[in-house]
Amino acid sequence: MIISNEMDQLIKDQEGWTRRMFEEGIRIKKLYGLDAVCDFSLGNPDTEPPETLRKALIDMLSSPEVGTHRYMSNNGYEDVRENIAEYLREVHGVPFTAGHIFMTVGCAGGLNVILKSMLNPGDEVIVPTPFFWEFKNYINNFSGVTRFVETKEDFQLDIGNIEAAITKKTRAILINSPNNPTGAVYHEESMKQLASLLNTKRELGQDIYIITDDAYKKLVYDGIQIPNIFKMYDLVLSVTSHSKDLALAGERIGYVAISPSIKDMDLLVSAMTISIRVLGFVNAPALFQRVAGKFQRTSVSIADYEKKRDVLYAILMEAGFECVKPQGAFYMFPKSPIPDELEFVRTLQQEERIMVVPGRGFGREGYFRIAYCVPMEKILKAREGFLRTGDRYYRGGK
Amino acid sequence: MPISKNISTLMKNSSWIRAMFEEGEELKKKFGTDNVCDFSLGNPITEPPEALKNELIKVASSDAQGMHRYMTNSGYDNVREEVAQYQREITGLPYTRDHIVMTVGAAGGLNVIFKSILDPGDEVIVPSPFFVEFMFYIGNHNGIIKLVDTKDDFHLDIDKIKAAISRKTKAILINSPHNPTGVVYNEAELLELADLLHERSKKGQRIYIVADEAYKKIIYNGIKLPNLPNMYEDTVNVTCHSKDLGLAGERIGYIAISPRIKNVRSLIDAAIFANRILGFINAPALMQRVVAKFQHNSVDIMEYQKKRDAIYNILVESGFEVIKPEGAFYIFPKSPIPDDIQFVKTMLQHRILTVPGVGFGKSGYFRLAYCVTMDIIEKSRPHFKEVGELLRKGQK
Repeated sequence: MIISNEMDQLIKDQEGWTRRMFEEGIRIKKLYGLDAVCDFSLGNPDTEPPETLRKALIDMLSSPEVGTHRYMSNNGYEDVRENIAEYLREVHGVPFTAGHIFMTVGCAGGLNVILKSMLNPGDEVIVPTPFFWEFKNYINNFSGVTRFVETKEDFQLDIGNIEAAITKKTRAILINSPNNPTGAVYHEESMKQLASLLNTKRELGQDIYIITDDAYKKLVYDGIQIPNIFKMYDLVLSVTSHSKDLALAGERIGYVAISPSIKDMDLLVSAMTISIRVLGFVNAPALFQRVAGKFQRTSVSIADYEKKRDVLYAILMEAGFECVKPQGAFYMFPKSPIPDELEFVRTLQQEERIMVVPGRGFGREGYFRIAYCVPMEKILKAREGFLRTGDRYYRGGK
Repeated sequence: MPISKNISTLMKNSSWIRAMFEEGEELKKKFGTDNVCDFSLGNPITEPPEALKNELIKVASSDAQGMHRYMTNSGYDNVREEVAQYQREITGLPYTRDHIVMTVGAAGGLNVIFKSILDPGDEVIVPSPFFVEFMFYIGNHNGIIKLVDTKDDFHLDIDKIKAAISRKTKAILINSPHNPTGVVYNEAELLELADLLHERSKKGQRIYIVADEAYKKIIYNGIKLPNLPNMYEDTVNVTCHSKDLGLAGERIGYIAISPRIKNVRSLIDAAIFANRILGFINAPALMQRVVAKFQHNSVDIMEYQKKRDAIYNILVESGFEVIKPEGAFYIFPKSPIPDDIQFVKTMLQHRILTVPGVGFGKSGYFRLAYCVTMDIIEKSRPHFKEVGELLRKGQK
């Protein structure tokens, strides 16, 4: 075979139904025209970067410094890392320095660098479900084993389940809050319980790291605050990107923040320096490192996202869907009206030209994900379709 | 320990590099950076062409929506079309945009290809001396590197390659123009290699040629890079714009998968998928748009050629044994004493920073990266002479 067996298996595992659905989506778009289709299937925000960022980028390019596009240290520019450290010191009240920041090719790049640095073959990483499917691939890249743990009904952490999943091989727990696909933001209380559970393990001699995928950290609603995990637990690695908060998804820029409470920080940074190099990233893209360094305190309009969330949530309630109201990110994860959500998603696509992703793509059957990072018109346009669908399934309409 | 055993071993194995780096830093502090001749890094000082800088401003100033969003994992359609057209021109083969995957540099591209084709235990042949990162790229995906010595002139030794092929051989990774030797493989030896691999494919074993062409435009004396995809079907070219456009820090390159590969679609799909799950997702958006328009351009090659001539002459005058490179910006002289680490340390005392050959799998040599200013090269002349003198005295 032209490709490796492992790769063939990986592709088969997940591309079967996504591909069919994707191709069906293309067919429907061609048939009815792009405008007639409401595509909620992709987490590709339609937002533009803030205008000030665009200006700064043009300024930077107009008066270029010599050496702007060359290689730099593998962990990124020192001044950029210092700016980020300063921002994190303010937000978290812990003593980050430039040495604790490691610039990466987005969040996905950051997670791969960390996992390459930490995992021995067979080491386990706990992942609460439903979950972003790529986590499994990232862990598998380094011969790690993903241990899935169900969250509660409201998609909050189930500490009892997590405790039961810990073995001697557990190396880390990977959490993603605000969460893709549910939009849940983990409560302070559950984070404290998690910290206390892991501290008990530490006392018994097992260090378990919390790796947080904070890609959506600035996208939170209702004035809530994300719990300050750095103050609750020592062994924390936070991975983030500017794909969503600065709408720079295509530019691949993010960073890892290593908790100043980690004693072996130097060792970890040396390992990450090798990992980012040998995995082929080498360094985060130079130009956008400089941009990121200047825009830590900026983000796209959160109020716009919050409005979209409110409108979509109201529509789903009106239609009769069962759904936990999300407090962050730009995803909603309603229950499918019928147990076979694949069937439901197909019907929604064919009957109403509304495209969503079946829950099994996130390890949870019987649900579906709506990505509402689309123009408000699309959400409003989908209203009729959702209402008819509600009628059809919940009230026996046609 | 927060790190894996694997990484820990890698760190120990490369500890001498760090030691040397730190000694170099000490030296710079002592004599001032300008008074040290640092030939240790392949980080070109060349700036991108002026036209490219202008294009960057133009693209960044565009009012178009969606310039910085995700795109297809393989890259923008129109960018891939431009690259495909360039590939069509230089190979005469029917590349389309489907055969192109935009990547995070050549290092990203090579990882994507090895993730796509290697099962645990599969072997990849690499001619040595070699760019030591290749070992990691192959190891990352549980492949096994099989090093094969090149000839005295650093050209391919086809008999040795033949002897190294086993049933597990999945690919041969070649790098021409070559790091660290600056050698450019000629048409005749590549045809021999193709013949050899054809013998295997007749017996049902497909072996890919993966060509790392990061330096393909940095080539001297008007010689042309042989048209590899025309000689051998199962060829994958990986390249980047770090050197030819001076964009090393921006991480932009691409994979060109030969349209002559049978059932090529599944390899393309695997590469796109690997680009995603390895965490690259896609090549940086803005730079994709810019490099698309600069496939035919490069930084000033004559500048590099002048530097090559200057450093070559200095080395020969000083009594070193060295093969004149035809491309890239590296030169790989023989160490006058067998212990290259010791010799590199001796040169440090004379304010010259180089890398010992053992870092490229070949003891008894050392590498100079001459992607530095002409000024530094000229400055190094008396120091090389000193070292040369010293060794002649020592030999008497």
